[in-house]
Amino acid sequence: MLELTPWIFLLPFLSFSIILFFGRWLPLKGAIVGIVSISLGFILSAALFFSGVTGHLTLPYLWQVPWFSFGSYQMTLGVYVAGETVCMLFVITLVSLLVHIYSLGYMHGDPRFKRYYAFLSLFTASMLGLVLADSLFTLFACWELVGLCSYFLIGFWFEKSAAAYAGRKAFITTKLGDLGFLVGLLLLFSITGTFSIPQLQELAHGGVLPVGLTGIACLLLFCGAMGKSAQVPLFVWLPDAMEGPTPVSALIHAATMVTAGVFLVARVFFLFEINPMVLHVVAAVGAITALCAALMGLVPEDIKRVLAFSTVSQLGYMMVGMALGGPQVGMFHLTTHAMFKAMLFLGAGSVIHAVHTNDIWKMGGLRKKMPVTFVTFVIGVLALAGIFPLSGFFSKDQILHAAIASGNIPVFVLLTITAGLTAFYMSRVAVLAFFGEPRDHHAYEHAHESPIAMTLPLVVLAVPSIFLGAYLFHGETFARLIPMQLEHEVYHVSTTLVAVVSGVVALAGIVIAWLMYGARLIDYESLYSKFNLLWRFLYARMGFDGVWLFLVEAADRLAGFLAALDYHVLDQGIVDGSGSLTVLFSKIGRWFDDTIVDNLVDCWGWLFAGGGNLVRASVSGFVQNYLLYIIVGVSLILAFRIYF
Amino acid sequence: MNPTAYIGVSAVLFAIGVFGAIARRNVITVLMSIELMFNAANINLVAVNRLMYTASSMGQVIALFSITIAAAEAVVGLALVLAIYKKFDTVFVENFNLLKG
Repeated sequence: MLELTPWIFLLPFLSFSIILFFGRWLPLKGAIVGIVSISLGFILSAALFFSGVTGHLTLPYLWQVPWFSFGSYQMTLGVYVAGETVCMLFVITLVSLLVHIYSLGYMHGDPRFKRYYAFLSLFTASMLGLVLADSLFTLFACWELVGLCSYFLIGFWFEKSAAAYAGRKAFITTKLGDLGFLVGLLLLFSITGTFSIPQLQELAHGGVLPVGLTGIACLLLFCGAMGKSAQVPLFVWLPDAMEGPTPVSALIHAATMVTAGVFLVARVFFLFEINPMVLHVVAAVGAITALCAALMGLVPEDIKRVLAFSTVSQLGYMMVGMALGGPQVGMFHLTTHAMFKAMLFLGAGSVIHAVHTNDIWKMGGLRKKMPVTFVTFVIGVLALAGIFPLSGFFSKDQILHAAIASGNIPVFVLLTITAGLTAFYMSRVAVLAFFGEPRDHHAYEHAHESPIAMTLPLVVLAVPSIFLGAYLFHGETFARLIPMQLEHEVYHVSTTLVAVVSGVVALAGIVIAWLMYGARLIDYESLYSKFNLLWRFLYARMGFDGVWLFLVEAADRLAGFLAALDYHVLDQGIVDGSGSLTVLFSKIGRWFDDTIVDNLVDCWGWLFAGGGNLVRASVSGFVQNYLLYIIVGVSLILAFRIYF
Repeated sequence: MNPTAYIGVSAVLFAIGVFGAIARRNVITVLMSIELMFNAANINLVAVNRLMYTASSMGQVIALFSITIAAAEAVVGLALVLAIYKKFDTVFVENFNLLKG
């Protein structure tokens, strides 16, 4: 079964080409091809996942073909399937399949329907390639492809300038992280001499890698993860990315692309472990991200934006889980989060489709009109808040327990506060959208439950949102798949205590949200006006956008200055200048040649001509003169002979 | 008498001949001066023969030859003068400047 894994990547890639070139003539504009290829991939991935958690899978699996060589190094093309790969395959194919089906309803009638499905296939293929890649080089290639597809899909409705801007912003911000990734990758190659992940694992376990340099390389790789997985300060693209179609948000920003960074950390965790400073940095960044994003999620009126900030916050949780608990804890939360976050996004899409607005202040009382969406959305909110026994509870608690057991009290406090905030802002959205009196009657009148294509995925995702956490947690289930876990028990804290604390905090969040927005016992309007400055600060996303814009502006100015420098000093000054100088020198040379040299030559000739003229005077034509010359000459010779 | 006087006579005659060859206008006179130079050379030959090489009479023989050749050369010279006179219609040397240049 494992030998078939390359097909999981190849089928969507082929379907991309087929849809792109032949989609016009296929039924449903090629969506069928996409759905079929992802379904096949899903069946195989689910089989792999479940045999993995029941212990019937021998991992890791490596399949390589030699590709090309440069110097003495041979690059390979292939798949390397480890526990985290199986986990991601399951998540990616499931969510992608459901998004394909959901989009049949959501994107119905869109003029670029074919292109949408082509990009969905390409995106899925690249993401699968990323998780299957056996060398960091192909991983990076797929990483970039994923970023490219996210640009296409976020800016899908590019007639809207906000969407086009968001697409560019996403691509460029993640590209900045990718720069760090590339430098780290090259540094890693220079340290280890290989791109291949199994080989790197061997080297790492052999203990031969230099601690400092590997640490720097890992931090640089983490820069890439920060960009893709929206950590502070490179998260700024994710809230704007909500301009894309909602199923795209569900796929890309809940379950797949943003988890690429978390996956990367899991994939090369053996490198991250080498230098303990790296894991501390990851935990710190994750914790700060979790809290800041949760704070920013308190204020938006756009339902998708709240979900976006929630995603950023949960990604921070995953990073903390990775750093303090190991890949098992991080990937567990990744898996459960993918399920309920995708469901929440799809549910939000369903609501938007019904009332034609994203603004929660224009919604209200929708639970009567859209029962399926309502129930699944509430399940999602509870799962995200971490209420027992839904899946989010188990994964979140594992992270909190890892945080406090490893002695990181500040991180634990930050994450607990964040848990409370999470419960609060999600409940706020749920209450404002589904409970109470409708605020916009016109929209309410037209609201209706979405078609089966959109509600079916919601129901399907509800099942793992409720049960997957408990299933993977009991016994050794998930541990069989990803056995790697960090063990440092600084404090002996029982998991029950942590569970109780987080449960209390979550319930408090939900209750306060109900009191503020549902029962109106706390007046939120007066709170908003009292904390207006804070509210505006959070609404402006803590000014990160401003900082980045400033930096971009500065870089632009610098580039402009350098361009002007290049043009005026280098091109005009030096190159043209040396040209003019050469022309000047050649003019002087010419003058020299004309005046001096030519005249010298003339003088020499004139000298001879003058001399000749002088001598000509003696050629008189008179023979007697000649006779005289003879006589004089002979006399002189005779005198010479006689006296010397 | 003093044998050295003969060589003196020869020298004086030669000098007069040179002067005449250089400084006379009439080409016939120039030819006459050249004849004079010949005669001076002949006298010199005989005188030196009598003074220094008394055993031999070589000088006198050479002088005899010299007279003959002088005569032949005079013929040639006069023939040339006749040709020139036919061209230039004058016997004065200052008009013979075709070689000028």
